[in-house]
Amino acid sequence: VFLVDAGITAKRKVARDMFVISMDAPEIAASVRAGQFVNLGWTNGPMLRRPFSVYRAYGDRIEIVLKAVGEGTAQLLAMTPGDGVSCLGPLGHGFGISAGPKTAVLISGGLGVASMPLAAREAHSLGMRVSWVHGARSADDLCSESDGDDVTWATDDGSKGFRGTAVAAAPDADLVLACGPNRMLAAVADRWPDALVAVETYMGCGTGVCLGCAVPLKHGGFDRACTEGPVYRAADVDWRALPSQLSYAVTV
Amino acid sequence: MSANMSVAVGGLTLRGPVLAASGTFGYGTEVPLLERRALGGMVSKGIFLRPREGTAPPRIAETPSGMLNAIGLQGPGVEALVRDYAPKWAEWDFPVFVNINGETAAEYGELASRLDGVPGVSGLEINISCPNVEQGGLYFGNDPRAAAAVTEAVRRRTKLPVWVKLTPMVSDIGVIARAVEAAGADALCAINTFVGMSMDLNAYRPRLSFRTGGLSGPAIRPLAVHLAHQAARAVQIPVIGIGGITRGEDALEFLVAGCAAVQVGTATFGNPRAIAEVHDGIAAFLASKGLASLSDLPRYLPRD
Repeated sequence: VFLVDAGITAKRKVARDMFVISMDAPEIAASVRAGQFVNLGWTNGPMLRRPFSVYRAYGDRIEIVLKAVGEGTAQLLAMTPGDGVSCLGPLGHGFGISAGPKTAVLISGGLGVASMPLAAREAHSLGMRVSWVHGARSADDLCSESDGDDVTWATDDGSKGFRGTAVAAAPDADLVLACGPNRMLAAVADRWPDALVAVETYMGCGTGVCLGCAVPLKHGGFDRACTEGPVYRAADVDWRALPSQLSYAVTV
Repeated sequence: MSANMSVAVGGLTLRGPVLAASGTFGYGTEVPLLERRALGGMVSKGIFLRPREGTAPPRIAETPSGMLNAIGLQGPGVEALVRDYAPKWAEWDFPVFVNINGETAAEYGELASRLDGVPGVSGLEINISCPNVEQGGLYFGNDPRAAAAVTEAVRRRTKLPVWVKLTPMVSDIGVIARAVEAAGADALCAINTFVGMSMDLNAYRPRLSFRTGGLSGPAIRPLAVHLAHQAARAVQIPVIGIGGITRGEDALEFLVAGCAAVQVGTATFGNPRAIAEVHDGIAAFLASKGLASLSDLPRYLPRD
Protein backbone atom coordinates (compact mmCIF):
# COMPACT_ATOMS: atom_id res chain seq x y z
CA VAL A 1 0.00 0.00 0.00
CA PHE A 2 1.28 3.43 -0.94
CA LEU A 3 0.47 6.90 0.36
CA VAL A 4 1.05 9.28 -2.54
CA ASP A 5 0.70 13.04 -2.82
CA ALA A 6 -1.00 12.93 -6.20
CA GLY A 7 -1.22 15.95 -8.44
CA ILE A 8 -4.44 16.23 -10.42
CA THR A 9 -3.61 16.33 -14.12
CA ALA A 10 -6.94 16.42 -15.96
CA LYS A 11 -10.69 16.30 -15.62
CA ARG A 12 -13.24 15.34 -18.26
CA LYS A 13 -16.99 14.94 -18.35
CA VAL A 14 -18.32 11.47 -19.22
CA ALA A 15 -22.03 11.84 -18.37
CA ARG A 16 -24.43 14.29 -16.77
CA ASP A 17 -22.76 15.38 -13.50
CA MET A 18 -20.19 12.60 -13.88
CA PHE A 19 -16.49 13.27 -14.33
CA VAL A 20 -13.22 11.40 -14.69
CA ILE A 21 -10.28 12.85 -12.78
CA SER A 22 -6.70 11.86 -13.59
CA MET A 23 -3.87 12.08 -11.12
CA ASP A 24 -0.19 11.23 -10.88
CA ALA A 25 0.27 8.21 -8.63
CA PRO A 26 3.05 6.14 -10.24
CA GLU A 27 3.35 3.39 -7.61
CA ILE A 28 -0.39 2.83 -7.60
CA ALA A 29 -0.70 2.99 -11.39
CA ALA A 30 1.94 0.28 -11.68
CA SER A 31 0.37 -2.12 -9.19
CA VAL A 32 -3.41 -1.64 -9.20
CA ARG A 33 -5.64 -4.55 -10.26
CA ALA A 34 -9.19 -4.38 -11.54
CA GLY A 35 -11.70 -3.87 -8.72
CA GLN A 36 -9.24 -2.31 -6.31
CA PHE A 37 -9.73 1.19 -4.97
CA VAL A 38 -7.91 4.21 -3.62
CA ASN A 39 -8.87 6.24 -0.57
CA LEU A 40 -8.55 9.98 -1.15
CA GLY A 41 -8.08 12.78 1.34
CA TRP A 42 -7.25 16.44 0.82
CA THR A 43 -6.42 19.60 2.72
CA ASN A 44 -9.48 21.11 4.39
CA GLY A 45 -11.48 18.13 3.19
CA PRO A 46 -13.74 15.86 5.22
CA MET A 47 -12.33 14.01 8.22
CA LEU A 48 -12.68 10.61 6.57
CA ARG A 49 -11.14 9.74 3.22
CA ARG A 50 -13.38 8.90 0.27
CA PRO A 51 -13.00 5.57 -1.53
CA PHE A 52 -12.97 5.40 -5.34
CA SER A 53 -12.50 2.46 -7.67
CA VAL A 54 -9.58 2.95 -9.99
CA TYR A 55 -11.10 3.55 -13.43
CA ARG A 56 -8.04 3.44 -15.64
CA ALA A 57 -4.30 3.27 -15.05
CA TYR A 58 -1.64 4.10 -17.61
CA GLY A 59 1.96 5.23 -17.25
CA ASP A 60 2.24 7.20 -14.02
CA ARG A 61 -1.44 8.04 -13.85
CA ILE A 62 -4.62 6.68 -12.40
CA GLU A 63 -8.16 7.84 -13.03
CA ILE A 64 -11.26 7.83 -10.85
CA VAL A 65 -14.91 8.56 -11.65
CA LEU A 66 -17.04 10.76 -9.49
CA LYS A 67 -20.29 12.58 -9.15
CA ALA A 68 -20.84 15.37 -6.67
CA VAL A 69 -23.16 13.63 -4.23
CA GLY A 70 -22.08 15.33 -1.03
CA GLU A 71 -19.84 18.07 0.29
CA GLY A 72 -16.70 15.94 0.02
CA THR A 73 -17.15 14.95 -3.60
CA ALA A 74 -18.17 18.53 -4.46
CA GLN A 75 -14.83 19.75 -3.07
CA LEU A 76 -12.97 17.14 -5.07
CA LEU A 77 -14.85 18.05 -8.20
CA ALA A 78 -13.98 21.72 -7.74
CA MET A 79 -10.26 20.93 -7.92
CA THR A 80 -8.33 21.76 -11.04
CA PRO A 81 -5.10 20.48 -12.61
CA GLY A 82 -2.25 21.49 -10.32
CA ASP A 83 -4.22 20.81 -7.13
CA GLY A 84 -3.16 17.81 -5.09
CA VAL A 85 -4.82 15.01 -3.17
CA SER A 86 -3.46 12.40 -0.78
CA CYS A 87 -3.99 9.03 -2.38
CA LEU A 88 -3.84 5.79 -0.34
CA GLY A 89 -3.85 2.56 -2.29
CA PRO A 90 -4.25 0.28 -4.03
CA LEU A 91 -6.66 -1.16 -1.45
CA GLY A 92 -8.88 -4.23 -1.26
CA HIS A 93 -9.11 -7.44 -3.22
CA GLY A 94 -10.15 -6.92 -6.81
CA PHE A 95 -11.77 -9.25 -9.32
CA GLY A 96 -8.70 -11.50 -9.46
CA ILE A 97 -9.30 -12.23 -13.13
CA SER A 98 -7.28 -15.23 -14.29
CA ALA A 99 -6.98 -17.28 -17.45
CA GLY A 100 -9.61 -19.87 -18.37
CA PRO A 101 -12.85 -18.21 -19.40
CA LYS A 102 -13.29 -17.50 -23.12
CA THR A 103 -15.90 -14.80 -22.70
CA ALA A 104 -16.55 -12.14 -20.09
CA VAL A 105 -19.52 -9.83 -19.57
CA LEU A 106 -18.94 -6.62 -17.64
CA ILE A 107 -22.18 -5.22 -16.21
CA SER A 108 -22.25 -1.79 -14.64
CA GLY A 109 -24.88 0.59 -13.35
CA GLY A 110 -24.21 4.31 -12.97
CA LEU A 111 -20.95 4.98 -11.13
CA GLY A 112 -20.37 1.22 -11.06
CA VAL A 113 -18.73 1.72 -14.45
CA ALA A 114 -15.70 2.84 -12.44
CA SER A 115 -14.29 -0.64 -11.95
CA MET A 116 -14.87 -1.88 -15.50
CA PRO A 117 -12.12 -0.47 -17.77
CA LEU A 118 -9.36 -2.20 -15.78
CA ALA A 119 -11.44 -5.40 -15.78
CA ALA A 120 -11.76 -5.14 -19.58
CA ARG A 121 -8.01 -4.62 -19.90
CA GLU A 122 -7.21 -7.68 -17.78
CA ALA A 123 -9.81 -9.86 -19.53
CA HIS A 124 -8.53 -8.77 -22.93
CA SER A 125 -4.94 -9.50 -21.95
CA LEU A 126 -6.02 -13.04 -21.09
CA GLY A 127 -7.60 -13.46 -24.52
CA MET A 128 -11.25 -13.17 -23.48
CA ARG A 129 -13.96 -11.70 -25.63
CA VAL A 130 -15.45 -8.84 -23.61
CA SER A 131 -19.12 -7.76 -23.65
CA TRP A 132 -19.69 -4.35 -22.09
CA VAL A 133 -23.13 -3.65 -20.62
CA HIS A 134 -23.78 -0.31 -19.00
CA GLY A 135 -27.04 1.06 -17.62
CA ALA A 136 -28.34 4.30 -16.14
CA ARG A 137 -31.58 6.20 -15.68
CA SER A 138 -31.51 7.85 -19.03
CA ALA A 139 -29.25 8.49 -22.04
CA ASP A 140 -27.62 11.58 -20.52
CA ASP A 141 -26.62 9.58 -17.45
CA LEU A 142 -24.76 6.88 -19.37
CA CYS A 143 -20.97 6.99 -19.18
CA SER A 144 -19.91 7.85 -22.71
CA GLU A 145 -16.74 5.73 -22.56
CA SER A 146 -16.83 2.00 -23.13
CA ASP A 147 -14.33 -0.76 -23.63
CA GLY A 148 -15.77 -3.98 -25.01
CA ASP A 149 -15.76 -6.08 -28.15
CA ASP A 150 -19.48 -5.46 -28.12
CA VAL A 151 -21.34 -2.79 -26.18
CA THR A 152 -24.92 -2.78 -24.87
CA TRP A 153 -26.58 0.29 -23.38
CA ALA A 154 -29.58 0.11 -21.05
CA THR A 155 -31.75 2.95 -19.75
CA ASP A 156 -34.70 2.94 -17.38
CA ASP A 157 -36.62 5.30 -19.67
CA GLY A 158 -35.58 3.67 -22.93
CA SER A 159 -33.95 6.89 -24.18
CA LYS A 160 -30.95 4.88 -25.39
CA GLY A 161 -30.47 1.18 -26.04
CA PHE A 162 -32.33 -1.48 -24.08
CA ARG A 163 -35.28 -0.22 -22.05
CA GLY A 164 -34.76 -1.73 -18.59
CA THR A 165 -31.90 -2.73 -16.37
CA ALA A 166 -28.34 -3.55 -17.36
CA VAL A 167 -28.77 -6.95 -15.74
CA ALA A 168 -31.78 -7.76 -17.92
CA ALA A 169 -29.91 -6.56 -21.02
CA ALA A 170 -26.75 -8.59 -20.38
CA PRO A 171 -25.85 -11.73 -22.35
CA ASP A 172 -24.49 -14.82 -20.61
CA ALA A 173 -20.74 -15.38 -20.53
CA ASP A 174 -18.14 -17.66 -18.93
CA LEU A 175 -17.16 -14.88 -16.55
CA VAL A 176 -19.66 -12.35 -15.20
CA LEU A 177 -18.39 -9.21 -13.45
CA ALA A 178 -20.68 -6.52 -12.07
CA CYS A 179 -20.55 -3.26 -10.19
CA GLY A 180 -23.37 -0.88 -9.32
CA PRO A 181 -25.96 -0.26 -6.64
CA ASN A 182 -26.36 -3.17 -4.25
CA ARG A 183 -29.95 -3.69 -5.43
CA MET A 184 -28.62 -4.29 -8.93
CA LEU A 185 -25.97 -6.68 -7.62
CA ALA A 186 -28.66 -8.66 -5.79
CA ALA A 187 -30.33 -9.17 -9.18
CA VAL A 188 -26.98 -10.31 -10.60
CA ALA A 189 -26.73 -12.84 -7.76
CA ASP A 190 -30.15 -14.27 -8.67
CA ARG A 191 -29.17 -14.80 -12.30
CA TRP A 192 -25.47 -15.71 -11.93
CA PRO A 193 -24.56 -16.96 -8.41
CA ASP A 194 -20.91 -17.26 -9.44
CA ALA A 195 -20.64 -13.70 -10.77
CA LEU A 196 -17.98 -11.53 -9.18
CA VAL A 197 -19.46 -8.30 -7.91
CA ALA A 198 -17.92 -5.19 -6.35
CA VAL A 199 -20.15 -4.03 -3.47
CA GLU A 200 -20.79 -0.56 -2.21
CA THR A 201 -20.58 0.27 1.52
CA TYR A 202 -19.85 3.17 3.78
CA MET A 203 -16.20 3.06 4.67
CA GLY A 204 -14.15 4.42 7.53
CA CYS A 205 -10.44 3.66 7.37
CA GLY A 206 -10.27 1.69 4.11
CA THR A 207 -7.46 -0.42 5.53
CA GLY A 208 -9.17 -3.07 7.63
CA VAL A 209 -8.93 -1.69 11.15
CA CYS A 210 -12.23 0.08 11.86
CA LEU A 211 -14.65 -2.69 10.76
CA GLY A 212 -17.05 0.01 9.56
CA CYS A 213 -17.58 -1.40 6.07
CA ALA A 214 -19.18 -4.66 7.18
CA VAL A 215 -20.52 -6.92 4.44
CA PRO A 216 -23.05 -9.51 5.69
CA LEU A 217 -22.25 -12.98 4.39
CA LYS A 218 -24.70 -15.73 3.44
CA HIS A 219 -23.04 -18.25 5.75
CA GLY A 220 -23.20 -15.79 8.66
CA GLY A 221 -20.98 -13.08 10.05
CA PHE A 222 -19.48 -10.04 8.42
CA ASP A 223 -16.28 -9.22 6.70
CA ARG A 224 -14.70 -6.05 5.48
CA ALA A 225 -15.45 -4.53 2.08
CA CYS A 226 -12.10 -2.74 2.24
CA THR A 227 -9.99 -5.82 2.85
CA GLU A 228 -11.63 -9.16 1.96
CA GLY A 229 -13.74 -7.20 -0.58
CA PRO A 230 -14.89 -5.11 -2.25
CA VAL A 231 -15.30 -7.97 -4.74
CA TYR A 232 -17.36 -10.99 -3.71
CA ARG A 233 -18.87 -14.05 -5.32
CA ALA A 234 -22.43 -12.82 -5.77
CA ALA A 235 -24.08 -15.73 -3.96
CA ASP A 236 -21.84 -15.31 -0.89
CA VAL A 237 -23.35 -11.96 0.12
CA ASP A 238 -26.52 -11.74 2.22
CA TRP A 239 -28.10 -9.06 0.04
CA ARG A 240 -31.14 -8.59 2.26
CA ALA A 241 -28.86 -7.53 5.13
CA LEU A 242 -26.69 -5.20 3.04
CA PRO A 243 -28.08 -1.66 2.90
CA SER A 244 -29.36 -1.31 -0.63
CA GLN A 245 -29.62 2.41 -0.94
CA LEU A 246 -26.70 4.45 0.29
CA SER A 247 -27.28 8.16 0.19
CA TYR A 248 -24.61 8.54 -2.45
CA ALA A 249 -25.65 5.52 -4.46
CA VAL A 250 -26.61 5.99 -8.06
CA THR A 251 -29.66 4.07 -9.13
CA VAL A 252 -30.13 2.52 -12.53
CA MET B 1 18.36 18.97 20.69
CA SER B 2 15.57 16.47 20.79
CA ALA B 3 13.52 16.20 23.95
CA ASN B 4 13.29 13.04 26.03
CA MET B 5 9.80 11.77 25.21
CA SER B 6 9.68 8.70 27.43
CA VAL B 7 6.95 8.44 30.06
CA ALA B 8 6.21 6.11 32.95
CA VAL B 9 2.56 5.13 32.76
CA GLY B 10 0.71 2.69 34.94
CA GLY B 11 3.20 -0.10 35.34
CA LEU B 12 5.60 0.41 32.47
CA THR B 13 7.79 2.94 30.71
CA LEU B 14 6.81 3.97 27.19
CA ARG B 15 9.36 5.38 24.77
CA GLY B 16 6.87 8.03 23.75
CA PRO B 17 3.58 9.44 25.02
CA VAL B 18 1.46 8.59 21.96
CA LEU B 19 -0.41 5.30 21.76
CA ALA B 20 -2.80 3.94 19.14
CA ALA B 21 -6.34 3.75 20.52
CA SER B 22 -8.41 0.60 20.66
CA GLY B 23 -10.69 -0.05 17.71
CA THR B 24 -8.76 2.20 15.35
CA PHE B 25 -5.64 0.11 14.92
CA GLY B 26 -7.01 -3.41 14.58
CA TYR B 27 -4.51 -5.87 16.00
CA GLY B 28 -1.64 -3.77 14.66
CA THR B 29 -1.01 -6.20 11.82
CA GLU B 30 -3.36 -4.57 9.31
CA VAL B 31 -2.03 -1.06 9.60
CA PRO B 32 -0.37 0.43 6.54
CA LEU B 33 2.73 2.61 6.91
CA LEU B 34 3.27 1.73 10.56
CA GLU B 35 5.79 4.23 11.89
CA ARG B 36 7.04 2.35 14.91
CA ARG B 37 9.56 4.94 16.06
CA ALA B 38 6.69 7.25 17.00
CA LEU B 39 4.51 4.64 18.64
CA GLY B 40 4.62 4.56 22.44
CA GLY B 41 2.37 1.52 22.32
CA MET B 42 -0.94 0.29 20.99
CA VAL B 43 -4.21 -0.98 22.36
CA SER B 44 -5.82 -3.82 20.42
CA LYS B 45 -9.37 -3.94 19.16
CA GLY B 46 -11.68 -4.88 22.03
CA ILE B 47 -11.93 -8.60 22.66
CA PHE B 48 -14.49 -10.81 24.39
CA LEU B 49 -13.96 -14.37 25.59
CA ARG B 50 -15.88 -15.71 22.61
CA PRO B 51 -16.08 -14.62 18.96
CA ARG B 52 -18.63 -11.90 18.22
CA GLU B 53 -20.24 -11.02 14.93
CA GLY B 54 -20.81 -7.34 15.62
CA THR B 55 -23.73 -5.18 14.53
CA ALA B 56 -25.47 -5.03 11.16
CA PRO B 57 -24.49 -2.32 8.69
CA PRO B 58 -24.55 0.64 8.39
CA ARG B 59 -22.04 0.80 11.22
CA ILE B 60 -20.53 4.23 10.71
CA ALA B 61 -21.70 7.71 9.81
CA GLU B 62 -19.57 10.79 9.34
CA THR B 63 -20.72 13.83 11.31
CA PRO B 64 -19.35 17.38 11.60
CA SER B 65 -15.67 16.98 12.60
CA GLY B 66 -16.38 13.49 13.79
CA MET B 67 -17.96 10.13 13.19
CA LEU B 68 -20.43 7.81 14.83
CA ASN B 69 -19.64 4.13 15.02
CA ALA B 70 -21.53 1.09 16.21
CA ILE B 71 -19.30 -1.86 15.37
CA GLY B 72 -20.51 -3.94 18.32
CA LEU B 73 -17.06 -5.27 19.24
CA GLN B 74 -16.81 -7.70 16.34
CA GLY B 75 -13.90 -9.96 17.06
CA PRO B 76 -12.46 -13.47 16.97
CA GLY B 77 -12.47 -14.15 20.74
CA VAL B 78 -9.55 -14.50 23.10
CA GLU B 79 -8.38 -17.92 21.93
CA ALA B 80 -7.78 -16.69 18.37
CA LEU B 81 -6.20 -13.49 19.67
CA VAL B 82 -3.67 -15.44 21.73
CA ARG B 83 -3.00 -17.86 18.89
CA ASP B 84 -2.90 -15.49 15.89
CA TYR B 85 -1.78 -12.09 17.14
CA ALA B 86 0.11 -12.33 20.44
CA PRO B 87 3.08 -14.19 18.88
CA LYS B 88 3.50 -11.32 16.42
CA TRP B 89 3.28 -8.74 19.20
CA ALA B 90 6.01 -10.56 21.10
CA GLU B 91 8.38 -9.65 18.26
CA TRP B 92 7.55 -5.96 18.32
CA ASP B 93 9.53 -3.23 20.05
CA PHE B 94 6.51 -1.45 21.56
CA PRO B 95 4.02 -2.70 24.14
CA VAL B 96 0.59 -4.00 23.12
CA PHE B 97 -2.32 -3.67 25.52
CA VAL B 98 -5.41 -5.81 24.98
CA ASN B 99 -8.77 -4.06 25.37
CA ILE B 100 -10.96 -6.55 27.29
CA ASN B 101 -14.75 -6.77 27.44
CA GLY B 102 -17.33 -8.90 29.17
CA GLU B 103 -20.99 -9.17 30.03
CA THR B 104 -20.21 -9.93 33.68
CA ALA B 105 -17.38 -9.08 36.06
CA ALA B 106 -16.49 -12.77 36.07
CA GLU B 107 -15.99 -12.73 32.29
CA TYR B 108 -13.54 -9.84 32.61
CA GLY B 109 -11.71 -11.81 35.29
CA GLU B 110 -11.61 -14.91 33.10
CA LEU B 111 -10.15 -12.87 30.22
CA ALA B 112 -7.51 -11.41 32.53
CA SER B 113 -6.45 -14.84 33.61
CA ARG B 114 -6.34 -16.13 30.01
CA LEU B 115 -4.10 -13.22 28.98
CA ASP B 116 -1.83 -13.18 32.05
CA GLY B 117 1.65 -14.32 31.12
CA VAL B 118 0.93 -14.56 27.39
CA PRO B 119 4.09 -13.42 25.56
CA GLY B 120 3.29 -10.33 23.50
CA VAL B 121 0.60 -9.02 25.87
CA SER B 122 2.08 -6.14 27.88
CA GLY B 123 -1.05 -5.06 29.70
CA LEU B 124 -4.83 -4.88 29.78
CA GLU B 125 -7.19 -2.03 29.10
CA ILE B 126 -10.54 -2.75 30.74
CA ASN B 127 -13.34 -1.46 28.53
CA ILE B 128 -16.25 -0.47 30.75
CA SER B 129 -17.38 2.16 28.30
CA CYS B 130 -18.40 0.63 24.98
CA PRO B 131 -21.75 2.14 24.02
CA ASN B 132 -22.44 -0.44 21.32
CA VAL B 133 -23.13 -3.70 23.11
CA GLU B 134 -26.43 -4.84 24.58
CA GLN B 135 -24.88 -6.38 27.70
CA GLY B 136 -22.03 -5.01 29.78
CA GLY B 137 -20.08 -2.12 28.32
CA LEU B 138 -21.48 1.19 29.48
CA TYR B 139 -23.42 -0.44 32.29
CA PHE B 140 -20.19 -1.10 34.19
CA GLY B 141 -18.80 2.31 33.35
CA ASN B 142 -21.44 4.53 34.87
CA ASP B 143 -21.85 2.81 38.21
CA PRO B 144 -18.89 3.18 40.61
CA ARG B 145 -19.58 -0.14 42.37
CA ALA B 146 -19.86 -2.09 39.11
CA ALA B 147 -16.75 -0.35 37.73
CA ALA B 148 -14.81 -1.25 40.87
CA ALA B 149 -16.09 -4.85 40.82
CA VAL B 150 -14.85 -5.36 37.25
CA THR B 151 -11.51 -3.76 38.04
CA GLU B 152 -11.09 -5.95 41.13
CA ALA B 153 -12.04 -9.09 39.22
CA VAL B 154 -9.30 -8.32 36.69
CA ARG B 155 -6.74 -7.16 39.26
CA ARG B 156 -7.05 -10.44 41.19
CA ARG B 157 -6.37 -12.55 38.09
CA THR B 158 -3.35 -10.84 36.54
CA LYS B 159 0.05 -9.37 37.29
CA LEU B 160 -0.10 -7.30 34.08
CA PRO B 161 -0.56 -3.53 34.22
CA VAL B 162 -4.30 -2.80 34.32
CA TRP B 163 -5.69 0.33 32.70
CA VAL B 164 -9.39 1.20 32.81
CA LYS B 165 -11.04 3.05 29.91
CA LEU B 166 -13.76 5.36 31.21
CA THR B 167 -16.96 6.53 29.60
CA PRO B 168 -17.83 10.21 29.31
CA MET B 169 -21.52 9.36 29.80
CA VAL B 170 -21.49 10.02 33.56
CA SER B 171 -22.45 12.93 35.76
CA ASP B 172 -19.15 12.92 37.69
CA ILE B 173 -16.18 11.10 36.15
CA GLY B 174 -14.19 11.70 39.33
CA VAL B 175 -16.42 9.30 41.27
CA ILE B 176 -15.79 6.48 38.80
CA ALA B 177 -12.09 7.36 38.56
CA ARG B 178 -11.63 7.11 42.33
CA ALA B 179 -13.61 3.86 42.50
CA VAL B 180 -11.43 2.07 39.94
CA GLU B 181 -8.25 3.53 41.43
CA ALA B 182 -9.22 2.09 44.80
CA ALA B 183 -9.96 -1.25 43.11
CA GLY B 184 -6.40 -1.52 41.88
CA ALA B 185 -6.17 0.15 38.47
CA ASP B 186 -2.66 1.22 37.41
CA ALA B 187 -3.90 3.96 35.08
CA LEU B 188 -7.07 5.41 33.60
CA CYS B 189 -7.86 6.07 29.96
CA ALA B 190 -10.21 9.01 29.48
CA ILE B 191 -12.35 8.96 27.52
CA ASN B 192 -14.24 6.52 25.30
CA THR B 193 -16.83 7.79 22.78
CA PHE B 194 -19.94 9.82 23.56
CA VAL B 195 -23.29 8.27 22.68
CA GLY B 196 -24.75 10.06 19.67
CA MET B 197 -27.38 9.72 16.99
CA SER B 198 -27.91 10.98 13.46
CA MET B 199 -30.95 10.66 11.23
CA ASP B 200 -31.22 9.61 7.59
CA LEU B 201 -33.72 12.08 6.13
CA ASN B 202 -34.53 9.86 3.18
CA ALA B 203 -35.28 6.77 5.22
CA TYR B 204 -36.79 8.60 8.21
CA ARG B 205 -34.72 6.51 10.58
CA PRO B 206 -31.29 6.56 12.25
CA ARG B 207 -28.27 6.42 9.95
CA LEU B 208 -26.85 3.56 12.02
CA SER B 209 -28.60 0.20 12.24
CA PHE B 210 -27.83 0.12 15.99
CA ARG B 211 -29.70 3.47 16.18
CA THR B 212 -27.01 5.08 18.32
CA GLY B 213 -23.25 5.08 18.02
CA GLY B 214 -20.11 6.33 19.69
CA LEU B 215 -19.04 9.81 18.63
CA SER B 216 -15.30 10.33 18.12
CA GLY B 217 -13.07 12.80 16.34
CA PRO B 218 -12.21 16.48 16.84
CA ALA B 219 -15.88 17.24 17.60
CA ILE B 220 -15.43 15.80 21.10
CA ARG B 221 -11.96 17.17 21.89
CA PRO B 222 -12.82 20.02 24.30
CA LEU B 223 -15.28 17.73 26.08
CA ALA B 224 -12.58 15.07 26.34
CA VAL B 225 -9.91 17.48 27.60
CA HIS B 226 -12.29 18.56 30.34
CA LEU B 227 -13.19 15.01 31.38
CA ALA B 228 -9.58 13.78 31.27
CA HIS B 229 -8.63 16.78 33.40
CA GLN B 230 -11.42 16.04 35.90
CA ALA B 231 -10.28 12.40 36.11
CA ALA B 232 -6.65 13.44 36.56
CA ARG B 233 -7.62 15.78 39.41
CA ALA B 234 -9.49 13.01 41.16
CA VAL B 235 -6.77 10.34 41.32
CA GLN B 236 -3.07 9.78 41.96
CA ILE B 237 -2.59 7.20 39.18
CA PRO B 238 -1.73 8.39 35.64
CA VAL B 239 -4.46 9.32 33.18
CA ILE B 240 -4.11 8.68 29.45
CA GLY B 241 -6.03 11.30 27.49
CA ILE B 242 -8.17 10.32 24.50
CA GLY B 243 -10.55 12.24 22.30
CA GLY B 244 -10.19 13.93 18.93
CA ILE B 245 -6.40 14.28 18.86
CA THR B 246 -5.13 14.97 15.35
CA ARG B 247 -1.84 16.84 15.89
CA GLY B 248 0.79 17.66 18.48
CA GLU B 249 -1.00 20.70 19.88
CA ASP B 250 -4.15 18.65 20.53
CA ALA B 251 -2.14 16.07 22.47
CA LEU B 252 -0.37 18.82 24.39
CA GLU B 253 -3.73 20.14 25.58
CA PHE B 254 -4.38 16.78 27.28
CA LEU B 255 -0.83 16.64 28.66
CA VAL B 256 -1.03 20.16 30.09
CA ALA B 257 -4.45 19.25 31.50
CA GLY B 258 -2.76 16.62 33.61
CA CYS B 259 -2.52 13.52 31.41
CA ALA B 260 0.63 11.40 31.37
CA ALA B 261 0.14 10.13 27.82
CA VAL B 262 -2.43 10.14 25.03
CA GLN B 263 -4.13 7.82 22.59
CA VAL B 264 -4.81 8.73 18.97
CA GLY B 265 -7.62 6.96 17.16
CA THR B 266 -10.03 8.33 14.59
CA ALA B 267 -7.42 10.71 13.16
CA THR B 268 -5.48 7.77 11.72
CA PHE B 269 -8.40 6.92 9.40
CA GLY B 270 -7.98 10.16 7.50
CA ASN B 271 -4.25 10.46 8.04
CA PRO B 272 -2.26 7.22 8.23
CA ARG B 273 0.69 9.29 9.49
CA ALA B 274 -1.28 10.91 12.32
CA ILE B 275 0.51 9.13 15.17
CA ALA B 276 3.94 10.09 13.89
CA GLU B 277 2.80 13.66 13.29
CA VAL B 278 1.37 13.93 16.82
CA HIS B 279 4.59 12.53 18.29
CA ASP B 280 6.78 14.85 16.23
CA GLY B 281 4.51 17.80 17.00
CA ILE B 282 4.93 17.26 20.74
CA ALA B 283 8.72 16.97 20.34
CA ALA B 284 8.87 20.15 18.25
CA PHE B 285 6.82 22.03 20.84
CA LEU B 286 9.08 20.92 23.69
CA ALA B 287 12.14 21.97 21.68
CA SER B 288 10.59 25.35 20.85
CA LYS B 289 9.98 25.96 24.55
CA GLY B 290 13.46 24.82 25.54
CA LEU B 291 12.15 21.86 27.52
CA ALA B 292 14.61 18.95 27.68
CA SER B 293 12.06 16.36 28.62
CA LEU B 294 8.33 15.76 28.42
CA SER B 295 8.39 15.48 32.20
CA ASP B 296 9.41 19.16 32.31
CA LEU B 297 6.15 20.21 30.63
CA PRO B 298 4.19 22.44 33.03
CA ARG B 299 0.83 20.96 33.98
CA TYR B 300 -2.36 22.65 35.04
CA LEU B 301 -3.59 20.30 37.72
CA PRO B 302 -4.99 21.84 40.86
CA ARG B 303 -5.94 19.00 43.21
CA ASP B 304 -9.51 18.47 44.27
